Amino acid sequence: MAAINIQKLSKDFSGFKALTELSLDVREGEFLTLLGPSGCGKTTLLKIISGFIEPTKGHILLNGKDVTKVPPEARDTALCFQSYALFPHLSVRENLEFGLRQKKVPALDRKDRIADVAEKLGLGPQMDKLPNQLSGGQQQRVSLGRALVMRPSVILFDEPLSNLDAKLRDQVRLEIRRIQKDYKLTAIYVTHDQAEALAMSDRIVVLKSGQIEQVDTPERLYAAPRTGFVADFIGNANVFTGRVLPQKTPTIWRIETPIGILETGNNAGTEGAEITLCWRPENAEINDDGALGGTVTSKAFQGHFTDLMVETKGVPYRIQTSRTDVNEGDTIGFNVPGPSVILLENAQ
Amino acid sequence: MTARQWITVTLLLMPGLGLIVWLIGTVVYIAFAQSFGLYNINGESALTTAYWADLLGNNIYLRSVRYSTYIGVMSAIFSVVLAYPLAIWLRKPFTGSMTIGSILKAPLLVHGLVAAFLFVNVISYHGILNQFMQWIGIWDGPHRLQNDNNAIAVLILQTWKNMPFALLLLTGALQGISDDVLDAARDLGAGSWARFRKIIAPLTVSGMQAAIVIIFIGAVSDFAFQVIAGPINRQSLAQLMVGYKGRGDWNSAAVVGATMIIVALFGSAILAGLSKIVMRGRLK
Amino acid sequence: MNRLRLNNILMALVIALAFIWLFIPFVMAVLWSLVDPSQPWTADKLLPPAMSFYRWVNMWQNSSLQPALLTSYTLAPSAAILSLLLAFPTSFALGRIAFPGREVAKTLCLLPLVVPPFITAVFFTALLYRLGLTAWRPGAIIFAHAVVFLPFSIRILTVSFETVRQDHIDAARDLGAGHWARFKAAYLPALRPGIYASLLIVFIQSIEEFAIAFIVGSPDVVTIPVLLYSALGQDYVRPNAAVLSLILVIPNVFLMLFLERLLKSANPTLASGKG
Repeated sequence: MAAINIQKLSKDFSGFKALTELSLDVREGEFLTLLGPSGCGKTTLLKIISGFIEPTKGHILLNGKDVTKVPPEARDTALCFQSYALFPHLSVRENLEFGLRQKKVPALDRKDRIADVAEKLGLGPQMDKLPNQLSGGQQQRVSLGRALVMRPSVILFDEPLSNLDAKLRDQVRLEIRRIQKDYKLTAIYVTHDQAEALAMSDRIVVLKSGQIEQVDTPERLYAAPRTGFVADFIGNANVFTGRVLPQKTPTIWRIETPIGILETGNNAGTEGAEITLCWRPENAEINDDGALGGTVTSKAFQGHFTDLMVETKGVPYRIQTSRTDVNEGDTIGFNVPGPSVILLENAQ
Repeated sequence: MTARQWITVTLLLMPGLGLIVWLIGTVVYIAFAQSFGLYNINGESALTTAYWADLLGNNIYLRSVRYSTYIGVMSAIFSVVLAYPLAIWLRKPFTGSMTIGSILKAPLLVHGLVAAFLFVNVISYHGILNQFMQWIGIWDGPHRLQNDNNAIAVLILQTWKNMPFALLLLTGALQGISDDVLDAARDLGAGSWARFRKIIAPLTVSGMQAAIVIIFIGAVSDFAFQVIAGPINRQSLAQLMVGYKGRGDWNSAAVVGATMIIVALFGSAILAGLSKIVMRGRLK
Repeated sequence: MNRLRLNNILMALVIALAFIWLFIPFVMAVLWSLVDPSQPWTADKLLPPAMSFYRWVNMWQNSSLQPALLTSYTLAPSAAILSLLLAFPTSFALGRIAFPGREVAKTLCLLPLVVPPFITAVFFTALLYRLGLTAWRPGAIIFAHAVVFLPFSIRILTVSFETVRQDHIDAARDLGAGHWARFKAAYLPALRPGIYASLLIVFIQSIEEFAIAFIVGSPDVVTIPVLLYSALGQDYVRPNAAVLSLILVIPNVFLMLFLERLLKSANPTLASGKG
């Protein structure tokens, strides 16, 4: 059974459509990420799931029960805030205890649960401190712990790592994932950081202007984006429009693009069709007798690879290579292997 | 800090802070000294507790201590109790909330004496309130509302004038609580009442204490409202003090003044302590 | 949507209450100030039977209103300027020098606000008698007002001094500015709104102040509040009291609104009206 069913959810904010007829099933025990640029509706969706915003239309089912009209205080969800939202006048222990007291959990049980979470998160020495005596990472952990002690059906994260510095972020990211697996929690995680989404999720929901662009595992999303938006938002992609040429063989299609002709074994459709396609910069193979070619306009050395901006007939695109002998102004030849050419839906 | 820097700072503080401390210190010192027969303006100065003993046995004095304390406590409580829900309501801006806020704060711009006149004018024997009550048929004839024995008129005036001030302080304190913190409490299962008791109240307690203390001190030392609208058979401490001073009895005036300082000081400490106990939502 | 309706009901309620506690009293005061003495306004009539500006003209010509206005509007600016001058050095120290005990000093500056005004008034008078300085009462009032309202000017100017940017001072110095030029270039622009606000707030407070003016000034010095007090007391004539009330309150409202704007431009966190 799915932990959450979202059925045709719409939300209007006085004329602005934040979400439009959005449907989604979240599986039990899965780590699902809502990914998208700001204003895509991901935070609105999270707030509707937690109950802070009432949808204009549609339903939400939690463990099969319709909770659309249930207020947040009565909903079996726990939210980790971007700002941590710790109660400044309460000690760490009292912060952790707050929700349990509201739910009238017996004292002994409370103690056990808090001790368990405190141990898992390494909060032992901080239990009697006030939030303003803690570092950012520690506050983050308390906020996570406060949600975890509730043992909610679903735990919700609203960009919980955006206030941490880069190094700490990587560490806490792993920790969240470990704990989610330990407790077999269903988690919904909101972020605009695609690297974070790729690293943590079982599945990613890519949102754009209040609608789902694509739902899939990180690997599939990267390898087979459905639209140019997804391709470009997750990793880098060179997106082109092209026209299908007569087939070379029954299994090889040829496509004319602004930078030259690409060949692929993927079914591009009938001759003459207008299509959109893309390829990843790291999949281009630089080769002096390559079928394609262009002039390097700039280069940026990144350590394990070099980022090249290349131009063909005034059309710019990107190539990543492990070669270090290419310089600005050079003319290079390269191939894009057939399997790397990804055919996209036309709607950009 | 070098000695030179200390001298500079001290010299800089002299005309401002120095004068404040000197004037207020002197005034309070004179009040206490004169109440014990020292620092007399005319006649011999001699240390004596006679003036205190005299007044402590005097019913008028005792009654006015009780009366002023009553006015102070009630004014502080009424103002804060009225201001709290309004401040919570106005915490998040909505269409028209600015206008509502300005209307509510308007009495801050009105002088206390003017307020007293406006009020007396409304409740007077042939005033609009009496007329209205007769017109709708609740009262048969005009009632005498001015200078009522329970000082309800004074309390209404104090609340009228001080509620906006409490509102100002409480709104400030409430706006310091982030939405996320309240949402978090809600998410963890706290309903409206639990949110108020456990989050809002403890986080606004210092703003409330400030409001209570300032309103209490102002109301304990009230003179104008009492003289114009207060009961005739009772005197406030300030009224009593000004009365003694007017008769040239500086020592008795000083006893009343010293009493007023003590009542203001202890009263505000007690009220502040009480409000902390009532409002603090510590889980233990 | 339910919340929205509740909000509208509450708003209507507050506006209705405001009508009772603000609008009606003021309308009554205005009506009473317009009552023509030819026909008394008796209880059975909704509006005064004859209305004129007679009371206003009469009060202006035949009462102590003119000298009281003159006194109030002479004392207040003097107190405002004196308070500003006294506050300046202290605010500089509090705003720009980090010395141990600065927070304590800031708190001590609030002392005059917690001592009841009648105590200050009565025992300041006692001090004047004792020192034999009873000859020039207006001077005593100006001095007392300036010191009692110092907390306002010190607070406002301290914040202004804090907002002066060190890099502006350094830049002026780097460009070879002397003491006076540095003050003009770096300090004055940041201080100006604070100076105006300080002058204005002490001015308003002084115009309104009753206890000190009443006790220290009696019986020679009569300010507007003192005049209003006696008009409400021993010589209570309702239309005259109405005229005086309006004269005291109307300029005040405009000054306060002006002050609010000034404070907002000077420092958004300070924009809280009186306090």
